[in-house]
Amino acid sequence: MNSMRTGALALLVWGWMWGGAGLADAGTVRIGVAGPFSGGQAAFGEQFWRGAEQAVKDVNAQGGIHGDTIELVKGDDSCEPKQAVAVANRLVDLEKVVAVVGHFCSASTIPAFEVYAEAGLLAITPGSTNPKVTERGFPTIFRTCGRDDQQGVVGAEFVVKQLKAQRVAVIHDKDTYGQGLADAMKAHLATLGLKEVLYEGLTRGEKDFNALVTKLRSVKADAVYFGGLHSEAGPLVRQMREQGVTAPLISGDGIMSETFVTSAGGPKFVDGVFMTFGADPRKLPTGLSLVERFRKSGYEPEGYTLYAYATVQAMVAAMRATKSTEGAKLAAWLKANTVETVMGNKSWNAKGDLKISDYVMYRWTSDGKYEELPR
Amino acid sequence: MPRKLWDAVLAGVVALLLFVPLTGVSLSGYTLEGHWQRPLWLAVGVVLGRLLLGWFLERRQRMVGTTRRPGWITAWIDDHRPYIVIAAVIGALLVPWWIGKYWLNVAILALIYVLLGLGLNVVVGLAGLLDLGFVAFYAVGAYTYALGHHYFALSFWAAVPLGAMLAAGFGVVLAFPVLRMHGDYLAIVTLGFGEIIRLILNNWLEVTGGPNGLRVPFPSLFGMDFGRRASPGHVTLHEFLNIPYSNEYRDIFLYLLLFLVVCGMVFLVRRLRRMPLGRNWEALREDEIACRSLGIQPVTVKLSAFGLGAMTAGVGGVFFAASQGFVNPTSFTFLESAHILAIVVLGGMGSTGGVIVAAVVLTVLPEVLRDFAEYRGLLFGCAMVLMMMWRPRGLMGIRRARFHRSEVG
Amino acid sequence: MNAHILLQQLVNGVVLGSVYGLIAVGYTMVYGIIGMINFAHGEVYMIAAYLTAIFLAALTLLGIQSPPVVILMVLILTMAVTALYGWSIERIAYKPLRHSTRLAPLISAIGMSLILQNFVRIAQGARNQGIPTLLDGGVRLMENGPEQFVQITHAQILIVVTAIVSMGALWYLIQGTAMGRACRAVQQDRTMAALLGVDTDRIISVVFVLGASMAAVAGTLVTFNYGSFDFFIGFVTGIKAFTAAVLGGIGSLPGAMLGGLVLGLSESIFSGFVNTDYKDVFAFSLLVLVLIFRPSGLLGHPEVEKV
Repeated sequence: MNSMRTGALALLVWGWMWGGAGLADAGTVRIGVAGPFSGGQAAFGEQFWRGAEQAVKDVNAQGGIHGDTIELVKGDDSCEPKQAVAVANRLVDLEKVVAVVGHFCSASTIPAFEVYAEAGLLAITPGSTNPKVTERGFPTIFRTCGRDDQQGVVGAEFVVKQLKAQRVAVIHDKDTYGQGLADAMKAHLATLGLKEVLYEGLTRGEKDFNALVTKLRSVKADAVYFGGLHSEAGPLVRQMREQGVTAPLISGDGIMSETFVTSAGGPKFVDGVFMTFGADPRKLPTGLSLVERFRKSGYEPEGYTLYAYATVQAMVAAMRATKSTEGAKLAAWLKANTVETVMGNKSWNAKGDLKISDYVMYRWTSDGKYEELPR
Repeated sequence: MPRKLWDAVLAGVVALLLFVPLTGVSLSGYTLEGHWQRPLWLAVGVVLGRLLLGWFLERRQRMVGTTRRPGWITAWIDDHRPYIVIAAVIGALLVPWWIGKYWLNVAILALIYVLLGLGLNVVVGLAGLLDLGFVAFYAVGAYTYALGHHYFALSFWAAVPLGAMLAAGFGVVLAFPVLRMHGDYLAIVTLGFGEIIRLILNNWLEVTGGPNGLRVPFPSLFGMDFGRRASPGHVTLHEFLNIPYSNEYRDIFLYLLLFLVVCGMVFLVRRLRRMPLGRNWEALREDEIACRSLGIQPVTVKLSAFGLGAMTAGVGGVFFAASQGFVNPTSFTFLESAHILAIVVLGGMGSTGGVIVAAVVLTVLPEVLRDFAEYRGLLFGCAMVLMMMWRPRGLMGIRRARFHRSEVG
Repeated sequence: MNAHILLQQLVNGVVLGSVYGLIAVGYTMVYGIIGMINFAHGEVYMIAAYLTAIFLAALTLLGIQSPPVVILMVLILTMAVTALYGWSIERIAYKPLRHSTRLAPLISAIGMSLILQNFVRIAQGARNQGIPTLLDGGVRLMENGPEQFVQITHAQILIVVTAIVSMGALWYLIQGTAMGRACRAVQQDRTMAALLGVDTDRIISVVFVLGASMAAVAGTLVTFNYGSFDFFIGFVTGIKAFTAAVLGGIGSLPGAMLGGLVLGLSESIFSGFVNTDYKDVFAFSLLVLVLIFRPSGLLGHPEVEKV
């Protein structure tokens, strides 16, 4: 028993020293990668990490930032606000990072960015699309993705003008991201003079949505918009088709993953599903050779992988140009200049949003791939 | 010897059967990828572990014959109790000044868990009522401050008593019909209630903001702000005291305030345990029928324990909201209830000192384990299972209230 | 609102309820016999879902194609390995705590649940997984016009039929065999059963094995029907199934099945005709209300106070 106690004490002391050892060495620049590396959304954390890791490897191979090599630090928030704040404090205070790539879930990003903003750190999220992230007037906050309100507009225009839908049902997953998307959709539908016939939320983590699908039938929806992630969108579309609901499903960037096909039970179910996403980064000429390298190493750079890569590129470009790691200087430079990234040229407005949002409609095809719809 | 070997080989075979399908191959789309070395290593690990365990058990068996020394640490703690308490208080007061913002935040969280642990300890440890939805009252406290501020510009200082009262009110209203149930049914009802509160907070968009959560301001001290710039009509603390600004001050302030609350709670529980009410709690835990035959009203006694626990959780919730600056229903899941229960059980039910130690360990440990981000959950789970095997009565064990001659006379 | 929609919701509810019932059996049996809430049971169901996909992929690689053979083989293999998991969990995490405090096994179970979740995440990756559709199509009843039909897929029929068959088998095992009699004896009075020569440790193991097999059946069927799962599914489903077990009267086998059906039906009816957002609130409120007015659940026996 006594040895147990001493053991626990030793573990604590050791942890303390370990934590304290993470100070910046001369000649290295530490960048944090924060996101869900455990919990239900861990797949997206992995995309962030893969992208950032590859970017850092490439930058270091080209001589780093004026000779300094970059080092990445992982910060796991499990998509939980409390952990996000703890991780943010840890990255700032203990790990002494100079910039942060992350977080993923908007509910984590919003409180965590308050910590970075207070510390004057450059923080760029590759994946949080909730408008609130950049709406709070913090100077050192950016994103390399679009905003849900832009996504909702593109989605609503498509549903009304292309699909000519009259009875639109809006479903969300009761989470910051999914609900934000659904609200944006609802709002723009209203400006187009259409009132949705159903607006309800399903529970994340469940797989049986049959009751909801029957309800879609009872309200005679002719288009279904879903704000949420692929893990729920897959079973939802499958159960719709199995119950004989033929209305098209439209969703946002949260279903942008090959896993969507797997979780729907095969390509035949995702056939005809529409989604909004940035112009596919994997198809851009600027990213072709990188995508090749990813695929050679046995990893498909899907979803946010290239967004994370581009985020690191933007940070590095700013650091190289300003010869500084100070958040305010980097932020000012990013807002004044255009960065050449793997996803094309990017520039930011005063809020930290991308100047050009390039949301377009995609359609999943019967072979389980997706293709851009002609604009 | 052959028997032990045989056991170990058997364990290895079972381990192979368990690990080959789940670790030997991994799903990749609709096909499989092989990792044949993984189950083999795991099985080898299990065989060695089984051998070591057998050896360890045998050694312990041999020790049973000899009289076991009482743990010298326990004895030492007993002998030096006042000094330890004074040292702990001084240490806790000094700690915030030099540990930095990150550990300061961890320390605040640890204190919140100490408070929650102490509250649940009254319910589970003293009164013996298993509550699996403790987090509901915690959420009530946090949202009292968040919603109160949002709609009525409620200040932190008003939110603390209001949150405590509301949480206690919820506790009493819930518990009243439920308390006549037998132990484990109470557990289920509280679990259901915890989920109901969380779901309502998540779904009632118009009022609670749903998953988007609510922003919560930082408390002020005598009308002074802790921010870099003062909000209109206020002065900032650093300007008032004419000291350079540091974003740590407000955390230090919160830490010290919380420390005060925790001390108050420890004192309250200590006093209550010696009073008739506290003794009734423990008597009821031990034998309800005997209590009833002695004229103790089980419902009122249970209600008081439940209400006190809920009140503590409400205060903890207000502090949690203030320290995070943001509340959102994801902080109030069942896992949070389980975490608080784990604190109480690991600390040794009924033991105040144990609960404090367990709360600190269980808050700091996951942060330390952050360096093994990948394996954090696994290690945390293992720690829980192993602790229950080695010290099922918790770190400090239970210390029954006894009448000592000196106390009576 | 029309009859088709109502019937369709009833079908949805029965299918969902059968799954809850199968998992609830594991909770109810363990509770009945050692009086503990086995929080790791939901993870057992999750493991069964993974095993289903793995065995399915393995059989496909071996070139076995015929759906009935594949389904049967996957079901048997999954039940066998999952039962082994159930046995090992009991052996590692609960058996050493047999004579410990009442809450020790509960904490140990929560720890075990964390271990299993993270183990699967590390071994299989965090991403959402799925299986190809094995059972296609379904039958349409009472069809007259668009949206005027009741659709039952073949996979749903499989769920209900298998649930009934396996519950029947379990019922026979408990009521009609010597081992089942021993189980019931241990449930009544463990000490007395031991005195009369029943190997209680073995019986407790048997109960865990049976419970895990039922969870395996549920895991396999759900995976065939919904085709999608991840390492986190055990939690939500586990809590629901546990609610079902309590609703029906914990400790009672028919109660678990009834509780599952009641929960499944009330969820789908409420979700279909009132509001999906609040269906879980409704389910838990139902639980609280039933317990207040019938503290031992729908089919449970009132607990006798022993002095």
